[in-house]
Amino acid sequence: MPRALTLPLAGWAEGELRAMGMPPALTGTMLMGERAALNGFAVPGAVSAGGGCRLYAARDGHVALALARDDDRAMLPALFQDGGIDPGDDAQILAAFLARDSAALVTQGRMLGLAIARLGEVPVSPPCQVTAEGPVKARTEPLLVIDLSALWAGPLATHLIGLTGAQVVKVESRNRPDRMREGDPALFARINQDKDNVALDLREETDREALIALIRRADVVVEAARPRALRQLGIHADALVRAVPGLVWMTITGHGATGDAGNWIGFGDDASVAGGLSDAIIAASGRVGFGGDACADPLTGIYAARLALDRVRDGRGARMILSMSAIVAMALDSERRRDEKALMTDLQAWGAAQGEVFPVTDMRPAGRVAAMGQDNDVWLAQC
Amino acid sequence: MKPGTKLKSAVCDTEVMVIRSGTGGIECGGAAMGEAKPDAIGTPDTAFAAGTLMGKRYIDAAGTFELLCVKPGKGSLSVDGVALSIKDAKPLPASD
Repeated sequence: MPRALTLPLAGWAEGELRAMGMPPALTGTMLMGERAALNGFAVPGAVSAGGGCRLYAARDGHVALALARDDDRAMLPALFQDGGIDPGDDAQILAAFLARDSAALVTQGRMLGLAIARLGEVPVSPPCQVTAEGPVKARTEPLLVIDLSALWAGPLATHLIGLTGAQVVKVESRNRPDRMREGDPALFARINQDKDNVALDLREETDREALIALIRRADVVVEAARPRALRQLGIHADALVRAVPGLVWMTITGHGATGDAGNWIGFGDDASVAGGLSDAIIAASGRVGFGGDACADPLTGIYAARLALDRVRDGRGARMILSMSAIVAMALDSERRRDEKALMTDLQAWGAAQGEVFPVTDMRPAGRVAAMGQDNDVWLAQC
Repeated sequence: MKPGTKLKSAVCDTEVMVIRSGTGGIECGGAAMGEAKPDAIGTPDTAFAAGTLMGKRYIDAAGTFELLCVKPGKGSLSVDGVALSIKDAKPLPASD
């Protein structure tokens, strides 16, 4: 009997969830496949399952570029260093990639703040880098988790920590809210269920002070801003970790903070390419395509929750900078060492299934979702 | 100026990437920027010394010029003597 189609790296996710003691009903396949199931996505080829990222053939190999934000396309003339390119014309974009080398495109694109990666890339940062350690705190239950992140990885991490009994407060910026609330309400309602919600305008000093006061009460902070963005707001994560006993601060990045990488961005699909998953699929199947659905997002969310919970039990505070691309590379390497033949069989089947429906996953119901700012009174009054 | 061109300040550490540009001279700290760094670094004009911020995009009032700061410095940006302003950060995508 042929093996059922397996979501790439779901086995690794499953192992992490079981090691964390998550409820058995919460499986790796569920967390990695629920967005695809909720939205009816197909197994991706050169266009990602969600459609926001695409693998383009460059002169010497493929480049993954996400054009998910409204004005990403306005950066394309600068990416190709050609003012004559029409950024809305996909045929011109395909031709421009074909005429250029992948490494130079990735260097230029990252400098421009685009989410871009290439085949054959090796992550420049480790999966987790500890940049500061803090004093010990005797924990009081329940833990207080402040979630400053948006989209998928960070909110999933705090959701999982919340399932252990922690109180999670999602903090949204009024002028830059988590657009998944409207963009994908079904997934939003799963990974943000049972969180309180505080809305702030971080352009205002009083709101920045309120946020810092809230952070000083927290056991865990999860955010996914580029390090310089928080510094420019006057929020110094390393200093807070050194000052606030037991504060565990998780920074989720595309590519870590080694050298220039702290200024690069990454989303789930381009980061999975940077982590080598598409290389492995090509090696196994000969097909060019993405693995899973933005799989760096759920893998990173799961790993971040595991590291944060380990640190909370340890009692000492820490600032940890996670790299989505390196986490994919680590999961891939782990699966390879566990059973390389099975991994290759799974990836070969994945590549051959392009265009077919996603592997079936068990679904879970959506939970209570807080409106933006509905709990401001509760969480800001006590500061 | 071709999009994607990297320009360097003649008076501080600032470097920018040209996203788009029209007719006019791009300056930092009141001095013309160039693709090469001059041998002798001057000092920013006090009227253009508010500094540049890493990763911020700077635009003129008409939206003809857009520069991305890829290395910060002490000078501030202008085109033909008119100061550029910071553009709001890109909204996050609705999903990735």
